[in-house]
Amino acid sequence: MSEPTFRYLNKAVPRTEDYRLLTGYGCYLDDIEIAGALHVCFVRSPHAHARIVSIDTQGALQMPGVVTVVTGRELAQWTNPMRVAPPVEGLLPVEFATMPVDVARFQGDPVACVVATDRYLAEDAAEQVMVEFEPLPAVTDMWQALEPDAVQVDPAVPGNLVSHQTYSHGDRERANRRAFRVVEATFHQQRQTHVPIETRGCAAVWDAGRDHLTFHVGTQVPHPLRTQLAQRLKLSETQVSVISPDVGGSFGQKIALYREELTVAALARHLKRPVRWREDRLENLTAAANSREDFCRTRAAVDQHGTLLALDLELREDFGAYCFFPANYLARVVAMILSGPYRLQDYSFDVKVVLSHKCGNAPMRAPMSITSWVMDGTMDAIARELQLDPVEVRRRNLLSPEELPYRTATGELLADITPSQTFEAVVAAFDYRAFRQRQQAARQAGRYLGLGLCNVVEPTTYGSRFYKAAGIPGSGHEASWIRIEPSGVVNASVGLGPSGQGYESAMANAVAEGLGVPPSSVRIHMGHTDIAPYGMGSRGARSGTAGGGALYLCALDARRKVLAIAAGCLDLRDAQSLRLTEARIEHRSGDEWIDAGLSLADVARRAYMDPTALPQGLTPGLEFHLTYDPPPMTYSNSTHGCEVEVDVSTGAIRIARYVIAEDCGTLLNPTVVEGQQHGAVAMGLSGALFEHMRYDETGQNVTGSLADYLIATSTELPNLEIIPLHTPSRATAAGIKGMAEGGVMGALGSLTNAVNDALAPFGVVADRHPLTPMLLRDLLRDKL
Amino acid sequence: MDKITIYLDVNGERHAVHCEPRKLLSDVLREDCRLTGTHVGCEHGVCGACTVLINDRPARACLAYAVQMDEARITTIESVAQDGRLSPLQQALHECHGLQCGFCTPGIVMTFEAYLRENPSPSEAQVREALSGNLCRCTGYQNIVRAILLAAERLRAETADV
Repeated sequence: MSEPTFRYLNKAVPRTEDYRLLTGYGCYLDDIEIAGALHVCFVRSPHAHARIVSIDTQGALQMPGVVTVVTGRELAQWTNPMRVAPPVEGLLPVEFATMPVDVARFQGDPVACVVATDRYLAEDAAEQVMVEFEPLPAVTDMWQALEPDAVQVDPAVPGNLVSHQTYSHGDRERANRRAFRVVEATFHQQRQTHVPIETRGCAAVWDAGRDHLTFHVGTQVPHPLRTQLAQRLKLSETQVSVISPDVGGSFGQKIALYREELTVAALARHLKRPVRWREDRLENLTAAANSREDFCRTRAAVDQHGTLLALDLELREDFGAYCFFPANYLARVVAMILSGPYRLQDYSFDVKVVLSHKCGNAPMRAPMSITSWVMDGTMDAIARELQLDPVEVRRRNLLSPEELPYRTATGELLADITPSQTFEAVVAAFDYRAFRQRQQAARQAGRYLGLGLCNVVEPTTYGSRFYKAAGIPGSGHEASWIRIEPSGVVNASVGLGPSGQGYESAMANAVAEGLGVPPSSVRIHMGHTDIAPYGMGSRGARSGTAGGGALYLCALDARRKVLAIAAGCLDLRDAQSLRLTEARIEHRSGDEWIDAGLSLADVARRAYMDPTALPQGLTPGLEFHLTYDPPPMTYSNSTHGCEVEVDVSTGAIRIARYVIAEDCGTLLNPTVVEGQQHGAVAMGLSGALFEHMRYDETGQNVTGSLADYLIATSTELPNLEIIPLHTPSRATAAGIKGMAEGGVMGALGSLTNAVNDALAPFGVVADRHPLTPMLLRDLLRDKL
Repeated sequence: MDKITIYLDVNGERHAVHCEPRKLLSDVLREDCRLTGTHVGCEHGVCGACTVLINDRPARACLAYAVQMDEARITTIESVAQDGRLSPLQQALHECHGLQCGFCTPGIVMTFEAYLRENPSPSEAQVREALSGNLCRCTGYQNIVRAILLAAERLRAETADV
């Protein structure tokens, strides 16, 4: 297919949002000054599971500066409970209050909220709130949780099994009969959390005269959050404005309407005074949201050459104590896309999601992150067991260009992806044969090198037809508006919720390209529900395709009208021989484009200030609005290659080289895309190597500081080499594909496969994260 | 708690601050001096987002009480760009895409404004070592390191020109 030529897309430029962020004049939540604002501090359960016997607030109420102390009882009167009950087969409905009244379900569960004139005083007073707890037995492990007589986390969820889904496609028996062997592999992904460097927080301002709430909160989804907030507060959506300022990272943690946020909003309304909350790091680590914690087992039926004939997946996920999202939602995507770029029709899965007495889960950048590790780890297991070359096993099973588009066993349509190209590019970059020779030579010298490969097919964008098919309420469409002002500059908006990715730059490019103006004349407005159109926000690598697509298409509409007006100005019958370039009208003369002596500003002036001169049928002004529903799913693809050296005497891993070949279609701004690739791989490597949200057997979180919950620093992460491919999607506006989560997926797989390649001489396999020195030493202890 | 009065020289401007002895320097800078470019990421000295210069040396503003800083010279991110012009380090971070959400950025800028003065020719490994006291969740550090090395190179060229 021929690539369209773009003027602004696919060209790297530095971001326009940088200046304020570099100079200290960004405006994050806590930078917003609100006169007279009260501060809250939450009193939290010290127990993983306990009955709340009584709460004595008298001592706190007498402390200086304290305005009030509320508990779940007051909040139950002021707010509606959260109900998560989509009609999904195998998923149990759950409901919970804004603050628990009877039972706390994890260490960190809020049970009271102190309101005071400053944050220090609120924290002082929180210590004087006397809560009598009756500790109850806790279930802190998903296997325990599934035992027949396990303690119940939620009375509405018998056996703690909140979701159980199974699926089968093809003829499993036929595959088994043909199988040379069935290869089994296991994968344990540990519990993690998002760690945005800016923690959560919010500020609520109640206008008692207008009965209106202004709610400042860093969020990925301003409009859906407003819908929820209004519903939970028993207000209408005309009574709530959500404003999201600069956001210091989110990674999936800033999607849900959290109970603390709802409490602050309810307090502002009740007290008729502004109220704000700044979460501290202890709260963020222990009580915001956790993620991941999955176990996967694959059973792959293969022939003697390693051809995959059939695959069974068993997946177990620990969702924590509360479901801010439908509990099947994340695990289901893993099961749905497991086969990635590999040929597979005979496939079945069994997915169970359980509750435990731990902080509840939220999607975290690549909620399906385990997928590619499981699939490519299975490829390596096949190679190991059949003593085949892992590159050859992958080649044998990868979809060839001729097989695309390909309908997977779960009904997904893979199109416009290039898995064999990215794979061969990475294999070539490492000079695979030479690496194997190097590896052999190093082993002779007592050094253990490993090369790990991982093929990723990243699901992105999630159109509304995906939601419908998956039985998840909601939509995947996005909305935009563009206003060309009388002076010819362009204001535009989209319903995304940026949190540092660079949308102001990337989205300005989408508008500039569609309209024909320089990006510098376009200003993008996001995050304010009274300004932006109702969109679905930022999640699931959807912003580029859904948001960028909506703006690009809206800009095409705008350009059509501009050219129609220009034709009128130039006394032409129609606009067929006109185009808009760099905000100038150009006229075709033969093969050449000649400046028509008319600027966008001239056209805009006529549209606003002289509408009677407009061609017949055209209305005054240059204001445009468009909604866009992308395809049910858009796929980008990549191959990750990681070379490591493992020090077998200490268990230390050194990443020697990291190469990615990635095809994510048309790029809104390659600078921003590269940043997302780096960030995603970093999060993946950090998770695979270090991060671990740990609870002891009584349910005490023992990782409540950044000295305990480790994320990768600059000394542990490698420089990445990126080989870009640009195959446009034929199903989206401008050929855009989503990206920004696949890097996490590929990093988990390539790093772990590399470590296991290095450990191969010892006959051991690391099947769990984090890949700590202690884990590797445990594996190697008796083998050296 | 009784408040006491201290004097801070912040970015060359003298501030009289009336605060409780327990109030953190980071909170005083943000709330009393109204300089909100110093960000608070962890309040336990690990993330480095709140790094400022105290008497020209980088330090965590969340690990100091303001009252300890009486008569000290504090430099914050707001003073680094002069007359709307980015410093060579800020400019390099912009060109190399060395920031995304920007929350950790002021701490990194302050750390390396000081570091590059003392270490004009660092190796990549040295930059990575010095940067390991600042956590960034967005970038994977690669472009930050590239930017710091570029800034060092440009600063050396500037010095050579003088």
